[in-house]
Amino acid sequence: MPQIIFAASNHKTYFMNFRSLLFLAFILCGSTIAMAQRGIIKGKITSREHNEVLTGATVLVNGTTSSTATDLDGEYQFYVNPGNLNLTVRYLGYRDTVINVNVVANQLTVVNVVMQSSQSVLQDVVITGYTQGQAKALNQQKNADNIKNIIAADQIGKFPDPNAAEALQRVPGVNIERDQGEGRYVSVRGLAPQFTNTSVNGEQIPSPEADVRYVALDAIPSDQLASIEVSKALTPDMDGDAIGGSINLITRSAQSKKPTILGFVGGGYNNLMNKGNMQGQLQYGQRFGKDEKFGVLLNSNYYQNNLGSDGVERAIDDNEVELRDYELTRTRLGLSSTLDYRFNNHHEAYFRTLYSRFTDREWRRRYVFKPEDEEIEKLTKDRFESQSVLSLNAGAKHIFKGFLLDYEAQYSYAEQNTPYDNEAGFVAGIPSTLNFADTKFPKIEADEDYTNNSLYEFDELGMGNTIAKDKNITAKFNVGVPYKINGSDGLLKFGAKVRSKDKSYTITQNTFENLGGVPNLDQFAGTPVKDKYMGGRYEMGNPLDIPKVINYFNANPGQFELQIADKASDEALESYKASEDVLAAYLMGRQQINKLMVLAGVRYERTKVTYDSKDVIIAPNGDLEAIRPVTGSSTYDFVLPQVHFKYELDKLTNLRAAVTASYARPNFSEIIPSQEINREDNLATIGNANLKPVSAVNYDLMAEHYFGSVGIVSAGLFYKQLDNFIYRRVTFNSPYPTTGTPIISNIDITQSQNGNNADVMGAEVAFQRRLSFIPFLKDFSLYLNYTYTHSKARLQSREASADNANLTEEIRLPGQANHVGNGSLAYEGRKFSARVSLNFNGSYLSEIGGTKEEDIYIKNRMQLDATAGYAINNQFRLFVEALNLTNQPLQAYQGNANQYIQREFYSYWMRFGVKFNL
Amino acid sequence: MKKLKYSVLSLLVFAMVACDKKNDNVIKPNVGSNFPQILNLADEGDGEIEDEDKFSFKIELIDRVDPDGEELEGRIVPLKQTVRVHFEVTDHEGFSNLADFIKDAKAFYEIDDCTTSEDENIDLHLEFDKATGKGSVDFPAGVEEIEIEFETDPDLFDDKVLNADDRKLEIKLTSVDAKDEKVVVNTANKFEFEVLDDESIYGKYELDIDDADQFTKFKNLFGLINEDVKGLSADDVEEIEVEFEYGEFKAVVVLKETEEVDECGETETVNKEIEIEGGIEELDIKALEGAVEFADDIEQEDGSEKEFKYSGEFKIVGDKLELTLKGEYDDEETDGITLVLNK
Repeated sequence: MPQIIFAASNHKTYFMNFRSLLFLAFILCGSTIAMAQRGIIKGKITSREHNEVLTGATVLVNGTTSSTATDLDGEYQFYVNPGNLNLTVRYLGYRDTVINVNVVANQLTVVNVVMQSSQSVLQDVVITGYTQGQAKALNQQKNADNIKNIIAADQIGKFPDPNAAEALQRVPGVNIERDQGEGRYVSVRGLAPQFTNTSVNGEQIPSPEADVRYVALDAIPSDQLASIEVSKALTPDMDGDAIGGSINLITRSAQSKKPTILGFVGGGYNNLMNKGNMQGQLQYGQRFGKDEKFGVLLNSNYYQNNLGSDGVERAIDDNEVELRDYELTRTRLGLSSTLDYRFNNHHEAYFRTLYSRFTDREWRRRYVFKPEDEEIEKLTKDRFESQSVLSLNAGAKHIFKGFLLDYEAQYSYAEQNTPYDNEAGFVAGIPSTLNFADTKFPKIEADEDYTNNSLYEFDELGMGNTIAKDKNITAKFNVGVPYKINGSDGLLKFGAKVRSKDKSYTITQNTFENLGGVPNLDQFAGTPVKDKYMGGRYEMGNPLDIPKVINYFNANPGQFELQIADKASDEALESYKASEDVLAAYLMGRQQINKLMVLAGVRYERTKVTYDSKDVIIAPNGDLEAIRPVTGSSTYDFVLPQVHFKYELDKLTNLRAAVTASYARPNFSEIIPSQEINREDNLATIGNANLKPVSAVNYDLMAEHYFGSVGIVSAGLFYKQLDNFIYRRVTFNSPYPTTGTPIISNIDITQSQNGNNADVMGAEVAFQRRLSFIPFLKDFSLYLNYTYTHSKARLQSREASADNANLTEEIRLPGQANHVGNGSLAYEGRKFSARVSLNFNGSYLSEIGGTKEEDIYIKNRMQLDATAGYAINNQFRLFVEALNLTNQPLQAYQGNANQYIQREFYSYWMRFGVKFNL
Repeated sequence: MKKLKYSVLSLLVFAMVACDKKNDNVIKPNVGSNFPQILNLADEGDGEIEDEDKFSFKIELIDRVDPDGEELEGRIVPLKQTVRVHFEVTDHEGFSNLADFIKDAKAFYEIDDCTTSEDENIDLHLEFDKATGKGSVDFPAGVEEIEIEFETDPDLFDDKVLNADDRKLEIKLTSVDAKDEKVVVNTANKFEFEVLDDESIYGKYELDIDDADQFTKFKNLFGLINEDVKGLSADDVEEIEVEFEYGEFKAVVVLKETEEVDECGETETVNKEIEIEGGIEELDIKALEGAVEFADDIEQEDGSEKEFKYSGEFKIVGDKLELTLKGEYDDEETDGITLVLNK
């Protein structure tokens, strides 16, 4: 018979005089009267077996509709009517626990509950880390007011996913874009990354990259996170600028007075590069003081990865082929801390920091075969790039007599620094022929030995550096006022936020050509970094060694001529400054009506943006004619009504529905008013500072059934109606500038514009549970999900011309894959565990071409990963992870699926080491 | 507490170790203000007819980013101190002693269109050793370009035969005494001076404007690229000259109509001219007949440029040059037209 273990205590409480807050008094008057007769229950739910907090546990007052769920720290609080009450605590994988509590009016009662696993009493069933993680995630998901998916840290650790992007690929409806085989950008429900916002601890973080808002999530190490939430339907208290979904990365905090010291050390191996890698993590957390008032958590991790790729690329229109040999060293450093102080049961303050730094040293060695020009180019690029994100959040939470208050200030800064980006190119006048009979591996025949470096003459040496900065300063508050209508609990919530963003990008570029005297490439040859390229299909010879070229450049500057006009043009065209101020406010109510929860409200967001950039005008003869400063600004407002329904069919089954309005801001590259006016080619590409965000109405339906033994089966439908969809439109024979006095009477202008509608619809199903109901598979668990998405958008036809500029055509949205899915089978024994995981990304449109035949697609890809672990004892565990076991390439095709324009191979790579929890 | 100490210590060590992988094997390029000024030969070469008594080459500074930001394509930023540039005749063909050909040398620079440093008695301290071919000259502060002019023996190569061998020399910059200036010279480039054989196609020719057929042919040929030529009347023309120079073809129509021009403060009355020039792409120079091709770009009204090309053959018989050319321009082309020109 399981024993109920609980600790409860009553405390006299002090309630701040809320009436002094006049601006709130009016709104809350009615409810405070009702609150005067109520008491507060607060507490923490922990696990007996693992002495861990239980996140997402349901706490409900029997016989009423009063219920709440524990937060990430396992804590809960809610307002109840005074009296002798029975509380039920419910948590997947644990037995329901009922506790009798006496609640006094206007007093706070602390009820901490230690729960016992239902599975731990079953013979031969082992509660493992993964099951714990899964339980945490599913309990939160089950009790959430909106449709969301949650991945807990323990769960992340069971998949071989080193960064946040790769951890997210396991979530239903999430597709990732990879760079050099590693996940980088996240698309949710068929919408490209710019339709999803990313937050750390509930507040958006800026993007380190120059021209986009979205964050490359390979910069965030997964070891820094307590959990990741993907909200697929927004509530009014969330930022409204997300159509695909909203990703929240939550860092860790200290849980108990017993010091927690955990981490891992390990190494790895990359098969393509035949090189090792290294990694480690160390986390320390502890609560101090008599009542554990002060908590400290420090977390650091480091991962150095040596990787590479072998690639073939084809430019169909130019009849060119490139052989690309990449070598990379990437590092990920994560540092985070959480300091929190609980003054008493009513008031607490916190300070959270997260710093992540991703560095990428890349050597790209390539040949470009140009039969039409009877030339072959040989180039090497050496570039270092770091992406840093710093997020500082300071805030407090208060429980007052009649309301809840939390507020937070955040400073966040992101930077992408490229201190050097050097590329040298040499050209040989060697005729060649290309044969594409084998579409996967084009055959190259050259009249001479193209690896003979003495045949290559110096073409150019480009050396540049860039820095992109993005800074957010945010302040917000939320007020929650509990109330009761006809015996049903409700919560009225309102709040406001201001955010000021400053973003800038500066570039320095120096390109030199031969003034006379630069020797041929054989003077600058290095040694190959791989034994074989593309399995020996192509010869790469001795590569061009960039340091030798730059050494020569420094020693013989008189032989190099700076391309001054190119420098002026490049630097002016790409540099910009932008600022964006956002003001938001919301009002929402959450009402429980028997088994039905209704959450409804409205959010208002006002955005003011200003930009400074430059026009670059190319004269008809191709010379740089002028560079002119330009500015742009716009202001837009959104009122976003949102309503959510959640109906509990039974204690383990929910039906959900939501209709929400949201929007997505344009990328900076689309709105900054930088312009390239090329009168030689009669083409102009100009930014559109008046571009409006894409707005959307999102409809969601979801049915979910949770298994008491930890698991879920769910199915959902979604439909998104997008308005003001952004597309690139060509205006033929337009005057320039488009407003004011024209200086050019007829020029074709390409500009991102609003105007067209798009629809996205889809269905997602997910199943995960331990197969304990099958005796011989009781130690196995299955994780499956699949999402089907369909989209259509109407754009200006690529066949449009000056005579029929309004001709339209229908396309699929870029980034939208029809099929996305995951499958994973895990064995979880007492000591040994193992998992094989499949991730499937369907093909998607990557770039819209000038014609339909020029559209570029990324081909579908299925990656097989495996991981295994062995627990030496309770403190140490060995692990090994292997990724991309089947050497799945990145493949892009143009026009038809057999016309490859890019194939890039990475081989497999591994990580192994020992994890500890002291 | 012990655990805590070890943990904090480890954490610190770990954070230190976890710095970026050192950027090994990275060479910092000397760009921006670290990139020096460059003194270079202004031209790759030049040539004069064999009885000419002088030739010159120029040394110039290479364009830099305009510090004032006004010239987008860059401009020459003159030095702040005078430097001394060394050069050398590194090779010569067709004669054995350099001193047999070069008799003297002088250096100067243009102060404006009408004044040179010579006029102002500014000495660039040119030293030139005719025996070794080595020379040195001041490149003054504030100057963009200097010119070194050699006096040559006009009789050395002036023969009456078509020469099969080259007669030329080449000059390279060898070094610079930069003092405090950050300036270097390009030592790889060479200036090649070529003695042009006046028995070959090089030289001036005249079209007989009284020959109506030839005049019409000239109009048809070059009217393709020049509206003024197309509308010419023989009565308006004083003379028509065609010249093959080093790397360049030139046709000059001298009109009877005159104009007043201001030349360095003096007003002159000169005939108006129509000039047609093209860079030589192909030319047989060691034969009395062969192939010829020249081309260039013509600026259009909107500022854009279009290329024209003339190609064909030539034949020299005595003092007459038969030039058969076909022109191509702006999707139009002429038939093959033969001009007969007199030397």
